Amino acid sequence: MGSLLDDWPSYDPHNFSQLRPADSSAQPSKLTPVTYRPTHNKTLPPPDQVISTEARNILLRHFYQKSEEKFRPKRAASDHLTPEHSCKQPRCDYADGAD
Amino acid sequence: MSVWNYVVTAHKPTNVTHSCVGNFTSPQELNLVIAKCTRIEIHLLTPHGLQPMLDVPIYGRIATLELFRPHGEPQDFLFIATERYKFCVLQWDAETSELITRAMGDVSDRIGRPTDNGQIGLIDPDCRLIGLHLYDGLFKVIPFDNKGQLKEAFNIRLEELLVLDIKFLYGCLKPTIVVLYQDNKDARHAKTYEIALKDKDFVEGPLSHTNLDNGAGILIPVPMPLGGVIIIGEETIVYCSVTAFKAIPIRPSITRAYGRVDADGSRYLLGDNAGFLHLLVITHERERVTGLKIEHLGETSVASTISYLDNAVVYIGSSYGDSQLIKLNLQPDAKGSYVEVLEKYVNLGPIVDFCVVDLERQGQGQVVTCSGAYKDGSLRIVRNGIGINEQASVELQGIKGLWSLRSSTNDPYDTFLVVSFINETRVLAMNMDDELEESEIEGFCAEAQTLFCQNAIHDQLVQVTANSVRLVSSTTRELLHEWNAPSGYSVNVATANASQVLLATGGGHLVYLEIGNGKLAEVKHVQLDYEISCLDINPSVENPNYSTLAAVGMWTDISVRIFSLPSLELLAKENLGGEIITRSVLLCTFEGVSYLLCTLGDGHLLNFLLNLSTGELSNRKKVSLGTQPIMLRTFSSKDTTHVFAASDRPTVIYSSNKKLLYSNVNLKEVSHMCPFNSAAFPDSLAIAKEGELSIGTIDDIQKLHIRTIPLGEHARRICHQEQSRTFAICSLKNCQTSNEETEMHFVRLLDYQTFEFISTYPLDTYEYGCSIISCSFSDDNNAYYCVGTAYVLPEENEPSKGRILVFVVEDGKLQLIAEKETKGAVYSLNAFNGKLLAAINQKIQLYKWMLREDGSRELQAECGHYGHILAFYVQTRGDFIVVGDLMKSISLLLYKHEEGAIEELARDYNANWMSAVEILDDDVFLGAENNYNLFTVRKNSDAATDEERGRLEVVGEYHLGEFVNRIRHGSLVMRLPDSEAGHIPTVIFGTINGVIGVVASLPHDQYVFLEKLQANLVKVIKGVGGLSHEQWRSFNNEKKTVDARNFLDGDLIESFLDLSRSRMDEIASSMGVPLEELCKKVEELTRLH
Repeated sequence: MGSLLDDWPSYDPHNFSQLRPADSSAQPSKLTPVTYRPTHNKTLPPPDQVISTEARNILLRHFYQKSEEKFRPKRAASDHLTPEHSCKQPRCDYADGAD
Repeated sequence: MSVWNYVVTAHKPTNVTHSCVGNFTSPQELNLVIAKCTRIEIHLLTPHGLQPMLDVPIYGRIATLELFRPHGEPQDFLFIATERYKFCVLQWDAETSELITRAMGDVSDRIGRPTDNGQIGLIDPDCRLIGLHLYDGLFKVIPFDNKGQLKEAFNIRLEELLVLDIKFLYGCLKPTIVVLYQDNKDARHAKTYEIALKDKDFVEGPLSHTNLDNGAGILIPVPMPLGGVIIIGEETIVYCSVTAFKAIPIRPSITRAYGRVDADGSRYLLGDNAGFLHLLVITHERERVTGLKIEHLGETSVASTISYLDNAVVYIGSSYGDSQLIKLNLQPDAKGSYVEVLEKYVNLGPIVDFCVVDLERQGQGQVVTCSGAYKDGSLRIVRNGIGINEQASVELQGIKGLWSLRSSTNDPYDTFLVVSFINETRVLAMNMDDELEESEIEGFCAEAQTLFCQNAIHDQLVQVTANSVRLVSSTTRELLHEWNAPSGYSVNVATANASQVLLATGGGHLVYLEIGNGKLAEVKHVQLDYEISCLDINPSVENPNYSTLAAVGMWTDISVRIFSLPSLELLAKENLGGEIITRSVLLCTFEGVSYLLCTLGDGHLLNFLLNLSTGELSNRKKVSLGTQPIMLRTFSSKDTTHVFAASDRPTVIYSSNKKLLYSNVNLKEVSHMCPFNSAAFPDSLAIAKEGELSIGTIDDIQKLHIRTIPLGEHARRICHQEQSRTFAICSLKNCQTSNEETEMHFVRLLDYQTFEFISTYPLDTYEYGCSIISCSFSDDNNAYYCVGTAYVLPEENEPSKGRILVFVVEDGKLQLIAEKETKGAVYSLNAFNGKLLAAINQKIQLYKWMLREDGSRELQAECGHYGHILAFYVQTRGDFIVVGDLMKSISLLLYKHEEGAIEELARDYNANWMSAVEILDDDVFLGAENNYNLFTVRKNSDAATDEERGRLEVVGEYHLGEFVNRIRHGSLVMRLPDSEAGHIPTVIFGTINGVIGVVASLPHDQYVFLEKLQANLVKVIKGVGGLSHEQWRSFNNEKKTVDARNFLDGDLIESFLDLSRSRMDEIASSMGVPLEELCKKVEELTRLH
């Protein structure tokens, strides 16, 4: 057991070195931090760091990606060994019409 | 009309939901950042412990909090995502000590089903992207570019619909997530996906593991070189990586939180729902994992988050109990625990119920909450009081008295602190280095207990011991003169002022001395019929050196008497009654009114108005301050006189608007106190308590003080009964038998002061206490506790059976007088027109209290009203009944006496899922619902059509951001009749996060004024992270989002007082109001809580 509890990581050996354990009857810590009320202008991020999600619907994106693949120049012959597979590709005009 | 409402926080959230550790405020400093739902707190690790740096309000409920280190940055950034789909990245600017927003955005989708198990946010350890799981079936990615800037977010379809946890794996070439999910057969599995950023899609990852522990709930990714992931179940823990798979069984438990200890990920702390802390160790040889080990370390509060800080110190954040700072010791203590609690941080959450009581009948409410859950359940007595800030303390046992002395009459500061013990007197003095050290006043007798000492005229000091009165020069410190007690007599009690000494010896002898220059003169001596218990000759304001009155407390006849000085003629005598002797008397003047205060050995205090010229006593009042003898002492703070009452519940007595007020002091037990105003400790108090002498300053502002009564079980309902001086609670206790966990439910009776259990009524198996009230019935003067219960059977969706139990308190015991079976859960009980109104499942039912022929009583059903889904919350006013429904918002019912029937008058047709309701006035009702909103509805009795009259009009809407469990009428502060705030009606609410808030109904003109102030403040006080105040406060549920109306954000408005002078000026001028007037108006508002 001792070996498991040995050698606790230490970032700065001084941290907590002066902290004495409060007895059980001690009052809970009463220190309260100051409340932050920013009045400066840097609460707004740089204009290019206002992030939103891409407007294109996930399904549409899927269709476009597939259609792009379809129009890609055909390369290896191995792609054609399973012709039935390509039949299931959505047609480009169909994808365009979908909303 | 209570339409214009002002919402303000009296007690901030204390439920700790998240915590993380990193170098946030500087590259060298280590910080603990914690989230308390709508606030974050930044702490610094120091040799003395955690130092709070900043409390940051966030305009949102925090869903994710993570520190991360973007490429090339010397210190960590903070990522925060809120439940309403906003996120921001904050950076600390050490130069200005400000938080700077590096990025922010909106990650909501137009279409999507919000996840049932809460939102998940995670950051790739190699900082390539941020991942969010917000909607079922979607995983959102916010990529970083190579400069650490965020790019447009996109969604990836996630096949797994019921996701329990997602984490990034370490050391993967491509960012890889591991997903813990449940399939449609309730089996749990884990699988991994690589994120192909270019294709915006998932690619099957290197790991997958099917059919895990049914309770698997937490994933822990293991850093390199080990890599892989730990999956925590309820009965097993497994480790899996591409090369290894290890599993160990564990004692069945639900792990709620984990914290990584070592950077290499070989040890983790696990906290379970019973509050047990375990250490999980991955054993490995070089980089090959050989097994898992788990060790029990000890017990903490039930952890919601665990952060290893430094040097074996760990932060335990809790939602159900106080958060803690603990140390992991190398050796176990006597109980076998390796855990040592270093500090506790109060948490009131979850506040399940509370009651507002005015125990001292002072017009000042105190709130008693049912707080915490499971083993950490407690009652908290929350009260506005005064704080003492301890400056220095020293261990000193057996202090019998304390006095401060100046070294000359004109010295502005005190030099000596005279500390008296049973057989000696010690003198402490401030030295040149402003430190207290042992000193000596040669003329004083050091070998005897000092009964009293005092600075006297002509630069003299006077000390009274059992044998003599000594007059000492304060410059030479030598004895000038001594008055000796007659042989055979010793001085029992004594008092003095600058020119007079009054003392009493055994046999009822009262001796009066006057202090001259170097001389003590015995002026008068009388013998009274009984022994004397206490004395006072505190002079009046007009003549601070000489009193013409003496107050004397007596043994035997338990009286207090006023004598004239110097003649010692009896002017007035007041018998106090009872058998408890007077322990302390004090003549004092507050705001030009003279009082005699007098305390008894049992903690009571009596006050009388005192006529200074005749000595006559009038207007006797009695209050209970504690249970132990009270010692009274005056002190001044900010040029005003206060009285300190030292006892087991120390209190400061002061006057406001010529009314005596009693404010608790945040100390446990004080035996003696004296003012001590030294150069190093100006305006301080020396306080003797529990073997310790401490010096502290006193707060000039009022704040909330919290007394904790740990119960070890979960209190769910509370109620106060004035007649029997008791509280009653419904509670439940979790009992762990060998292999089964059972619940036991109780009705318990508690003493109103000690809060000890004095009687218990156990409920049946499966029977839950749902509601409790104290009430009386028509034609019966007894006060009863009525308890509503439900039999919660595992096979039933809704309880079909319950009971109403009627108890009376007799000889401190709960006696069951009557019981009535019901056809469902009794969710609410109200005293109603001398009858009992119950909400039972979907029905409102009225019961009469009937006298049977044999003289016993029973509840008899009179009438009822159906038409609710579940009538959870009921409030009444006159014949009106307001019902808050599970999902059908608020409806208004009327009891018709003649017909003996209850009818619906009107309802709000919105589908609000209610969590609390309260009646603000005859026409306006306040509701809280489960999307954290508040709203008000108004009765439309003047409307033209029946249709309109049958509709409750929504008049106010506001996003509170807190889940309200209870709203009650009352006030936490003394309402001063001639202040503006004294006429503003208020209700108090309590929330899951431990917030106690106040809703104040303002006059219309004040509302309009403050609304304008709020609009101006929004422009000046910015939302942290660029989050918008307007959006945050907008009413929001699944169906709609609309701007807040007819509610004001008091927290924002009162932050006006924290602004710099120039900012205040700016706002005052844009409002066209003089600054002084604006400040006064806002300050008035702060007195509402």
